[in-house]
Order: sequence, then structure tokens, then C-alpha cells
Amino acid sequence: MTTADDHDLHTLAGAYVLDAVTEEERRRFAAHLTDCAGCRDEVAELREAAARLGTAHAVRPRPGLKERIIRSAHNTSQLGPVIAEHDLQQDASRRARRRPVILTAAAAAVAAVAIGIGTHYADMQGQHAQVGTPRVDAVLNAPDAVMRTAPVSSGGMAIVVTSRREHMAVFIAHGLRALPQAMRYEIWLMGPRGERPAGMLSVHRKDMAGPAVITGMTSHDMVGLTVEPASGSLHPTSAPLVMIGPGQQ
Amino acid sequence: MSEGRWHRPDGDAPLPGSGRRAVPGLDDLLSAVARGDERAYDAVYDLTSGWVLGVARKVIRDPSLAEEVMQEVLLDVWRLASRFDPSKGSGQSWVMTLAHRRAVDRVRSERSHATRELRAARADIDYDDVTEAVEASLEAERVQRCLSSLTRLQRECVNMAYYGGYTYAEVAELLGVPSGTVKTRMRDGLIRLRDCLGVP
Repeated sequence: MTTADDHDLHTLAGAYVLDAVTEEERRRFAAHLTDCAGCRDEVAELREAAARLGTAHAVRPRPGLKERIIRSAHNTSQLGPVIAEHDLQQDASRRARRRPVILTAAAAAVAAVAIGIGTHYADMQGQHAQVGTPRVDAVLNAPDAVMRTAPVSSGGMAIVVTSRREHMAVFIAHGLRALPQAMRYEIWLMGPRGERPAGMLSVHRKDMAGPAVITGMTSHDMVGLTVEPASGSLHPTSAPLVMIGPGQQ
Repeated sequence: MSEGRWHRPDGDAPLPGSGRRAVPGLDDLLSAVARGDERAYDAVYDLTSGWVLGVARKVIRDPSLAEEVMQEVLLDVWRLASRFDPSKGSGQSWVMTLAHRRAVDRVRSERSHATRELRAARADIDYDDVTEAVEASLEAERVQRCLSSLTRLQRECVNMAYYGGYTYAEVAELLGVPSGTVKTRMRDGLIRLRDCLGVP
């Protein structure tokens, strides 16, 4: 709006391309880009140059990774092109850009799990289970919801949707390895002050687990998953199979 | 369908050369990935995983964290492929933008939170077969040569931001230079780099 502000934003192109800005500056500059075609061209060109700073240091990944990542990808739903109204390279604000991704992908994942649960309970009890709870919906619909996915080292994928505002997260997983009857998956909040138990993860079907609602989350916490005795532990007794977070993006 | 259709470099990791010319087909491959083409994703992995791991290593340093970030980025490439628009930049730049951002986010959260004990908990993951081989020595030389054509301050600003993951304000503080100067040096430095590299 003000020219001084515009000028100030203009000079930010280099820092923006180098990711040398704060989240707030990134958001403001991205908003500026939607109104400034010249800036978009400059950012696109500078990005080609910056990319080469990275590709110049290519390292060969260890061989086992490829199979694992490709397997994870095939178990991960893709963002459909229809929703792609804000293009990545157009850089509408990061948050605005991520929101549709979160909502669609997380909603799809939760729906998939919920269908699994529903089917499971329907099988077991001849009735339909409630699909989605108010607390799960509160996290998924939070304006600051962030979704992260990560492979579980023993197999499967974990998905965590975090809302900083709500101090909550929703944990779901699929493809987890089946455990012996005496063992269960336990979720942890892992932060600078140590680990806190955040609930047991219910595996409804071989393929789907959760959603588990995690409360009392701080912005410094990561979410971890371990295998524990079925009664649960107060502290992890095994190494985390996956760690996701912190949800502050 | 033959694998050659996707320009697979002999099933091996890529040897990135000079920008877009070195990665024929990446843009097309990404468009195919957006349609759920698993074979195309396989080829995209071969072309880009070395770059992604490379930048993650440079920024994050810790090999196990870098590997985690690489996995996240490669999954992003799969999930978000429909966001790639070849009219707005190369596939290489798109992938590297995702990769660098994730790496920087990670190194900043590592810096701000004491997560050492968590890292120790993960130490039992097996990393002994990490191959350190740096690919593209030609490309590394070319980029190094272009970096050395920058002024010293431009180079320091670009290096600290891109490889160090520092914000321009942090760079200003570390170098004892006004932040406005750092901002303009980052931009001027990248412009000079772009001209030197002959970016399309």
C-alpha cells in the first residue's frame, strides 16, 4: 500500500528465495507477489539460481531408502489437481497454500480411518460407529492446522495434524505392523522437558489406526510413537518408531 | 512401456549437470506423477533424491535428520505434484524449493529446541551404509566458480542464508552489518549468480 512498504518488500526477494525470512515476512512477501508480476518473475529466476546452490552438493542416498520411500508414497494420497488454486510457485501465503492440502488430505485420511472403524464396529456390533468426533473436527478445521506425515520405521505411515491454537493434535496411521497381544502402540509428546504419555493408539484394522486426539500440546513438542506393554508405560521403554513435529510452521 | 521413456540414468542416482538441460524430462515426469503415475515417480526419485539429500545434509548436517527431511520432501513431491506448473519454473527449482524450505524449517526448530535426547533415542537406526559420494563435481565447480565472482559480503550473505539456514536479520547480527544491507546483498548476490550460471 504505502510506497515505503512496497520498496521494503521489493528488496526482500533475495532473502525470500533463500528462505532467510521469518514466517511472518514470508507470508507478507507472498501476498505481495500476487500483486506484483515483476516480482514473481524475479523470484522465479532467482529460484533457478538458488536451486543450483543445492544441486551442486548432491549426495547419493543409501540404497535401502528408495524402496521404503516409494512404498510410503504409494500409501499416501495425492492432492488432486482440482484444489490446486494457489500454486506453489505463485506463492500465495504459505499458510493459505497449505490449508487446502491439509484439509483435503487429512480429511481423506481421517475419513479412510473412520470408514475402517465404522466397518469394524459395524462388523462387531451390527451398528454404525460415530464417524469423526467434535475434537477431531476441531483440530482438522482449525485455521492453523498443519499436517505432517512420516514413515514409521517398523512399517506404515503416521499422519499428525496439529493445531497450535487448540493445543491439540490428531494422530492417525495406516499400514502399521501387527503387534503381539501383550503389546500396544503408545503415543508420546516429546519436548525439551522430556516425554509425556499422550495415549494409546487403537489399531482398528490391520491397516488403520486412530484417530487419537492428543491434548496439552505445546509448540515445542514432537509427537512420537513407541511399542509398549499393553497396559501402557509412563515413560517410553523402546526407541521411537516415528517422530513428527513440532507443529509450529 | 520401457523404462527408457522416462530417461532413467541407468538406474543410478543422477549426475546433475548444468541446470535444466541436465534433467530432460523432469518437468514431464512431475506432470505424470501428478496423475498418479508410479513409474514416473520412480524416475523422479532417481533424478532428485541426490539433490534433496545433498541440500538437507548441507543445511542440517546431522545425517539421520537430513535423511528424514529427504523422505518428507520426496513424499511432498508425490503428494503435491499437481501444484507443479512448468510455465512458472523448472521442476528442479520446484523440488529444490520444497527441499530447502523443509531443511531450513528443521534446522531452525532444532536450534530453538533442545532435542538432543530425542536424537540420542534414534541413534539405533542404522546409518553405517551411508554413501558419502558427492556426485556432480563439474556442477559443484561451476557453482563454486560463480560464487567466487560475488563480492565477499554478497557471498557471505548468500552462503549463511542458503547453507546455514539463517534469516537475514540473524546474518546481519552475526556479521555486524545493517539488516537492510544484508537484504540487498542477498538479492544482488543471487542476481549475479543467476547471470553467471546462465539460468534460463
